[in-house]
Amino acid sequence: MQKYIWLVPLLPLIGAAINGLLGRKFRFSEPLIGGIAVGSVALSFLISVAAVYSYGFGGHAEWPKPYLTSQDGFSFNWIPGGAVSVNQGSEARIQIELQKNLEERLAAMTPEERSQTKGILVGASDSPRFALLNIEWSYQLDPLSSIFMLIVTGVGLCIFVFATGYMHGEAGFYRFFAYMGLFMFAMLVLVMGSNFVMMFVGWEGVGLCSYLLIGYYFDRQEAANASRKAFITNRIGDFGFALAIFGVIATFGSAQYTDVFNQAKGYPIELLGQWGILSWIALGLFVGACGKSAQLPLHVWLPDAMAGPTPVSALIHAATMVTAGLYMVTRTNVIFQHSQTMLLVVALVGAATAIFAATIGITQNDIKKVLAYSTVSQLGFMFMACGVGAFVIGIFHVMTHAFFKALMFLGAGSVIHGMHHEQDMRRMGGLKKYMPYTYWTFMAGWLAICGIIPFSGFWSKDEILWNAASTTHIPLGWLVWLIGTIAATCTAFYMTRLMAMTFWGRERFLEAPAGGEADEAHAAAFDKGLTQHDALRPSAGDRPRHEPGEHVGPVHEDVADHLATHGHGGHEHGAHRPHESPPSMWVPLAVLAVLAVIGGFVGIGPAFRTVTRSEHPGGRLNIVTWLNPVIWNPSTREFNAAEGVEAPVAETEHAAPPTEGAGHAETGASVYGQTGFNLAHSVEASTHSELATEWIFIIISLVVAGIGMLLGGLFYVWRPQLANIWAQRLRPLYVASYNKYWVDEFYGWAVTRRTMDAARAVYAFDSRIVDGIVNGLASLSRLFSRIVGGIDKYFVDGIVNTIAAFILRLMSPLFRAAQTGFAQNYALVMVLGLMVAVVIFFARDIF
Amino acid sequence: MLNFTFAFLLQQVEDNRFAQMRHAAANPDLSKFLWIGALLFIIGVAGVLTRRNIIVIFMSIELILNAANLNFIAFSRYLHETGNANALAGQIFTVFIIVVAAAEAAIGLGIVIALYRNKETIWVDEIDLLKW
Repeated sequence: MQKYIWLVPLLPLIGAAINGLLGRKFRFSEPLIGGIAVGSVALSFLISVAAVYSYGFGGHAEWPKPYLTSQDGFSFNWIPGGAVSVNQGSEARIQIELQKNLEERLAAMTPEERSQTKGILVGASDSPRFALLNIEWSYQLDPLSSIFMLIVTGVGLCIFVFATGYMHGEAGFYRFFAYMGLFMFAMLVLVMGSNFVMMFVGWEGVGLCSYLLIGYYFDRQEAANASRKAFITNRIGDFGFALAIFGVIATFGSAQYTDVFNQAKGYPIELLGQWGILSWIALGLFVGACGKSAQLPLHVWLPDAMAGPTPVSALIHAATMVTAGLYMVTRTNVIFQHSQTMLLVVALVGAATAIFAATIGITQNDIKKVLAYSTVSQLGFMFMACGVGAFVIGIFHVMTHAFFKALMFLGAGSVIHGMHHEQDMRRMGGLKKYMPYTYWTFMAGWLAICGIIPFSGFWSKDEILWNAASTTHIPLGWLVWLIGTIAATCTAFYMTRLMAMTFWGRERFLEAPAGGEADEAHAAAFDKGLTQHDALRPSAGDRPRHEPGEHVGPVHEDVADHLATHGHGGHEHGAHRPHESPPSMWVPLAVLAVLAVIGGFVGIGPAFRTVTRSEHPGGRLNIVTWLNPVIWNPSTREFNAAEGVEAPVAETEHAAPPTEGAGHAETGASVYGQTGFNLAHSVEASTHSELATEWIFIIISLVVAGIGMLLGGLFYVWRPQLANIWAQRLRPLYVASYNKYWVDEFYGWAVTRRTMDAARAVYAFDSRIVDGIVNGLASLSRLFSRIVGGIDKYFVDGIVNTIAAFILRLMSPLFRAAQTGFAQNYALVMVLGLMVAVVIFFARDIF
Repeated sequence: MLNFTFAFLLQQVEDNRFAQMRHAAANPDLSKFLWIGALLFIIGVAGVLTRRNIIVIFMSIELILNAANLNFIAFSRYLHETGNANALAGQIFTVFIIVVAAAEAAIGLGIVIALYRNKETIWVDEIDLLKW
């Protein structure tokens, strides 16, 4: 089945092409468009499942060897690059060659010779090599890409089904699904490509689709601005990524993953303070990942991206596209693990982003904004995991996060739909009664993200924190753990706040209807004295503006007229009472809720080995076992050995020396040098038990999650007035968080304004000086031509006319006289002329 | 011209070979033909330039053409005697010229008739339509 995986990206592309090219012209009906889109993604999903099954579990399973479609003939020479000069990283290569040379010479000696030898002369060439660079278009199926294929097509399928309900009645229905299908294609190329350049194509493709979909409501200024912001911010990251790809080609002479990583694994590790070519490449890659995955300096676009339709937020800005950075960092973990500095940078940026976004999420009032900052924060957690060397756990969190965050975004979409395009949580409350399916599914997502024990988020988040505490890859692991734990508390707090404000408590939407004067007054009263309510400013949500004069009163007298003018899709609503969403919306929610509950069981941690009787239970179904072969092991300098499926437990123990470096290794310490204070090891030194230590950290993470949830409940359920009181007491912090730490304002001042000033200055230069020179020259030449024209007209023409008149007057009688009209005169002239000619020709002979 | 003739005769007389003279008269050399051709040409040109009757002018033109024909024939014979392979070219040319002259005569006489019908004259000094 693996040989058909080229169909996986192709099918959504075909669906998108049909919808996008024909949908408008032939006025496809909504069921047809939705059927094409959902059908193509569903087929892709089925093929992915079958391919991954036969790759990992079938009779001739190739796992963990990467399967390339070129093995079965699907590949073509996409970019015939020709010879490239491999001129980077030569010091490291020379070192490797010398080492190899030395080992060969030593191996060739007998022991006696070896003992007598004082020194060996070895050599290596430092002349630049040339490599034949041919970039092929082929897909790669390996443990990492298979997980992403399943996430993208599986979660994507749920979201597509949801979108058919959510986008019902939109004018650009066909356009929406065309973009979504295109996005699926690009995302699948990104994760399935077998080389860096294909990843880049997918990378740019998802960026483009993100731009198109954020700007889906292009007639609204904030959506247009947000799409441009996302696009431009991503350009910064893509610039770094492109440089890193050039670096890879210039260092390894290839862009194929298998080639590059086989060469890279022999390179020396660049410790803290060393900065070599692999650090440069890793830096470029991480800049790219920061842009795409909204990490700290470049995170500003993701919250604004909520201006797109909610299914887009769920698919692109929560579940798939923003995790492309994680995919890339994990894919290139060989390179990242070669640079301790970059690992530290990744971990610290991830931790900073996690706490930064989590604290902003606490004070936001737009339900989608809260989820957006939550996504940024969770992405920070994932980078934290990668930075401390636990790449597998990062991908595990990508997966569980895709489940529960897609679920919550879709739930938010359902709420927005049910509330008639109301996104402000201050106008919600008590929705539990009206939207039971949405409520219960949302509840699963809430428990998962807070990290309550059997739910999926617990397993991945706890593993991240444990790996941060016990890392030997980088120093400051304890700091990363501490920040992560605080961020986890904040996460539990703001998600509880979201639940409370949306589903519990008073039904505030009854007190004042959406939009209009009364609504503003209500919203202002809600946080009286805190800050100016932002409803007067354009919000970044996908709530349509109410037109002036439009009826926004509490009760609609004429429901039929209201439906006709509002176009809410024909569902009944009187006094803006919320209603449950149709089955096309809550069924995907239910599926995702199930996944959010049980999704974590593929990664039950080693702490539960007394219960599960295995370090990584489940054999290949365990995500750690499944993914480990793509992770490079710094202590053995090889990729991790694959655990055999026949005896997973025994294999783990037997293969202890090579695999021990992964998470809690003593051997790893020697590779990365002394990394200072290690929290987990210190605790272990006092408890004298690894198991107890792991459990201590599990209990800590559960306790902080509980504290966060209890605080949330206290502030927003049991004592609602406490929120305002504490906001007043911590007013500077509150204002900072509410205004998102003024990052947007800072960028606006430091970057946008400067750019505009520069543009204005350039424009002024252009219009005054350049245009002035050109215009001056033009008027000069006009003056000159007028002078020349005058000379021409009066002087030259005068001379010519005078001569002509002279000839006319004087010569014409003469010539006229020659024309006698008698043929014999003419013949005479001819004969005379003949005689003259004869005389001239024969003059020499005659005279 | 007279000087030449006398010198020729004198030479023959002095040589006293009458038979040879007769032979020479029967087989004239090239220059004699050329002289005749030149005379014909001059007569023709003079006729064209001086006569007023258009028919006579026409006849004079025929004389000019035949002067050329005579030259061609003479050279053809001369070349044949000197053993040149292409000697027949001159004769072919002559045939061509006769044909062309016939055609020209047909057209020219037609023009003359048309002219006469219009102008009631064939005197060229009364025909000055080419005047400006």
